[in-house]
Amino acid sequence: MRVHLPALDHGLMDPAPARYAIRIHGHLGATVLSAFPALVPQHHGADTVLTGLLDRSALYGVLAEVEALGLDLVEVRQLTPQRRSPEFGDSRSP
Amino acid sequence: MTVISAPAGSGKTSLLRAWAGRPGQPHRIAVVQVQRDQHDAQQFWLALLGAVRQACGPASRAEPPAATPGFDGRAMVDRVLSELADARDGITLVIDDLHELASPDALAQLTRLLVNLPPNVHAVLATRRDLPLRLQQLRLAGELAEIRAADLRFTERETRELLEASGIVLSEAGVALLHQRTEGWAAGLRLAAISLAGHPDPERFVTAFSGSDRTVAEYLIAEMLERQPDEIKDLLLRTSLLDRVNGELADLLTGRPGSERILLALEDANAFVVSLDPERTWFRYHHLFADLLRLELRRALPEDAPALHRRAAGWLTRHGQVADAIRHTQAAGDWPEAARLLADHSFSLTLDGQAQTVEALLRAFPRGALADDPELALVRAGRTLARGRLDEAAAHLAVAETYAETTPPDRQRRLRVGIASLKLALATRRGNLAGVIEQAELLASPVTGQSGQDIALDSDLRALALMHRGIAEAWSPGFPDAERHLQEGAALAREIGRPYVEVACLAQLGFASKTRPFATARRRCREAIALADRHGWGAEWMIAPALVTLAASMTWTGEFDEGERWLQRTERALQTDTGPGITLLLHMTSGMLQAGRRRHREALEEFSAAEHLGSQLERSHALASQVTGWLLATHARAGQPGQARALLAALDHERAGSGEVGNARAVINLAEGDPAGALGAVQDVLDGTAPVTGHVTVAEAHLLAGLAHRDLGDQRAANQAAERALALAEADRLVLPFAMTGSADLLEALPRHQTAHAALLADILDVLHGSSLAAQDQTASPPAEKLSPSELRVLRYLPTNLSRPEIARELSVSLNTVATQLRSIYAKLQVSDRSSAVQRARELRLLSAGPTR
Repeated sequence: MRVHLPALDHGLMDPAPARYAIRIHGHLGATVLSAFPALVPQHHGADTVLTGLLDRSALYGVLAEVEALGLDLVEVRQLTPQRRSPEFGDSRSP
Repeated sequence: MTVISAPAGSGKTSLLRAWAGRPGQPHRIAVVQVQRDQHDAQQFWLALLGAVRQACGPASRAEPPAATPGFDGRAMVDRVLSELADARDGITLVIDDLHELASPDALAQLTRLLVNLPPNVHAVLATRRDLPLRLQQLRLAGELAEIRAADLRFTERETRELLEASGIVLSEAGVALLHQRTEGWAAGLRLAAISLAGHPDPERFVTAFSGSDRTVAEYLIAEMLERQPDEIKDLLLRTSLLDRVNGELADLLTGRPGSERILLALEDANAFVVSLDPERTWFRYHHLFADLLRLELRRALPEDAPALHRRAAGWLTRHGQVADAIRHTQAAGDWPEAARLLADHSFSLTLDGQAQTVEALLRAFPRGALADDPELALVRAGRTLARGRLDEAAAHLAVAETYAETTPPDRQRRLRVGIASLKLALATRRGNLAGVIEQAELLASPVTGQSGQDIALDSDLRALALMHRGIAEAWSPGFPDAERHLQEGAALAREIGRPYVEVACLAQLGFASKTRPFATARRRCREAIALADRHGWGAEWMIAPALVTLAASMTWTGEFDEGERWLQRTERALQTDTGPGITLLLHMTSGMLQAGRRRHREALEEFSAAEHLGSQLERSHALASQVTGWLLATHARAGQPGQARALLAALDHERAGSGEVGNARAVINLAEGDPAGALGAVQDVLDGTAPVTGHVTVAEAHLLAGLAHRDLGDQRAANQAAERALALAEADRLVLPFAMTGSADLLEALPRHQTAHAALLADILDVLHGSSLAAQDQTASPPAEKLSPSELRVLRYLPTNLSRPEIARELSVSLNTVATQLRSIYAKLQVSDRSSAVQRARELRLLSAGPTR
């Protein structure tokens, strides 16, 4: 699991929400997805990527839920407006 | 120590159970399973202590651990450590689901426990994630064993064994596929086994499973649920929202009977349902299992969830599980109803030691919701007050009062009673006596014609009101009802089963008995302390008043060593901040002790501290003039009469006119070489016109007069004064005034045959010459036969230098009579000579002329 958390420019906690992409191994079904109502799911290969706008508390809440449900966390990435990697152009619906 | 750290469903609990269940376990095992989302440190520790006591078996003497409104984590850890050490044989302490411990305090306390484990204890911790337990030392010393996810993963061989044990027939390839797909994850394998058992085509199942991209847990749970009869599926879904379930509750939620049978069968069939008690009446689902079921419930039966929460809440309320009921009401989204429930029960929850649970429940309300709700404001006031944030508490109380009208009429009385009770507590904390009396009177009216719950609530409040009122009155001059209120409070508390309040009342009663004969006060203090010890509260702050009063009592009678021991115990009990009042007592008593030992500098420090604390109380307290008087006197005795005069000049009129300060003036005069002035200073005390705290002040005044007379050359007057002081001191066997005033010379000049208090005189001189009185020998057996009153009279002359004829003359009896009585005395005391008789008589406290115990 690789975690790309944002670099802290001025050493202060940035409380404003940001867009995050959380990659889980496996396709999440309707039941488990209902645990993440604030996130939009997309399948990428054998993984599911959950994307959404989260502040820090919400982010850690999501991670706690991932832990509680025994899901296989692969990556947590903060998306900046410029950083749109080509993968995210692929929009196969679940 | 062993730590098992692995994600949900790795098989940690199964491992622990299998290991604990092995036959031939050499060690005793104490198991604690941390409750879901446990914020309450005390609840965690009580469960742990309970488990330890159960493991140690019936050999444990103490009562089961009782919760207290104020929790001392440090003392609790010490208690656990000592009980573990006492066990002597090996003990294994197992803590499962440690990641659910949401209280940072508890984690810190646990670290201390683990680092200080006695050598006979092995700890095993199971958790889903690594915790900040700072176990580096143990790791470096090689005393930490770790079992991680990789260790718990099933190998392919183990997978085959599991399947075979479940009677599942699968090809080698199938086993390999299953193993690969689940990656050896225990929960996945067991879920698969459930579906595979009795499946018509296991190979196809495994192939389909392996070919799916679905997450393992979701796929397998869906499969498992699909294969269950509707009845069971319904039960699992509907009861998933409970932390614990029993047959009755499940019937209520499913609307069908027979749930208990199903739950038992489920437990027998698979490991996702486990019973919580030996009788198998309560069950719990594996957390992962329950979480997924809960999600499925929300998805499949979305309208049903709130209703189910409500139904559960109703049942739980009726069965006294209030905190859980409130959680379910909140989960149903019924915020006003949850607020009502919390307001109704926060008080008793707090008294039951679930204060942190109350705070967690408060936090669960959405921000801004019900900001003007008076009942919720009251709960907030209670919590902030308990945390010592007095101004914040007052602000919340103000909100409660402002919006009190918005409460429905049938709840008005309860709200007003609650407000009055909190104002009472606030007034007590601030030392505002007038406020206390006002509120206590409001609450004093007896309860008639109300619901059972109202009466219970009111009884709780009344007991507390009596306690607060008694405390406030004990601390203020001119309120004789303190003892009565405290006794009423203790009796009521005993009746309604609130031992904490009972002990608190009795402890304060000990303090309030200061105007009583010492025997009464000591007895009350010892009773309170014994009761506290029985509950394991012997080092709690609320027993401090009894401890310090006992220390003071010992100091008064010259038992300085014993007094010092009780003072040390008081200090230990006052580790947490308890307000200026009791600390003041501690310093004052320490000052008395030091002054009795003639250590003026140390006494000065203590009296100054007491004086400073006294000034922080809103009103002048009962002992204020005593503290001031002694402070001034000690300055003079320490060679600082100027300082004493300066402080004297700064006193207000009332304080300056008290008997205690009058005595202090005399001390200053004596120090300045003005005996005539000293006589003038004590005149008001001696003729009874000056207000005094007690008769000890008058005794002191006589001694000071005696010293003055001696300085003026009037030996007869000096002797008379000494005799009067002895007379006042006789009933309680007071020694301290003589010690503090340095009256050794005065007493020695008093001819023995001119005093009716020879025995007391001898004791006092012993103390003044440096030997501390032996502590009362509690184990000394009393004489086989009691001494008659005339024998006691003779006995009291034994410590003097009087010969038998002289004693006979004093008592106006014949010499023969005295001889006979002495023979009888020696026989009863089982001694053969005069000095042994005196020694024995001292041990048995027979030399006092006061009321017998």
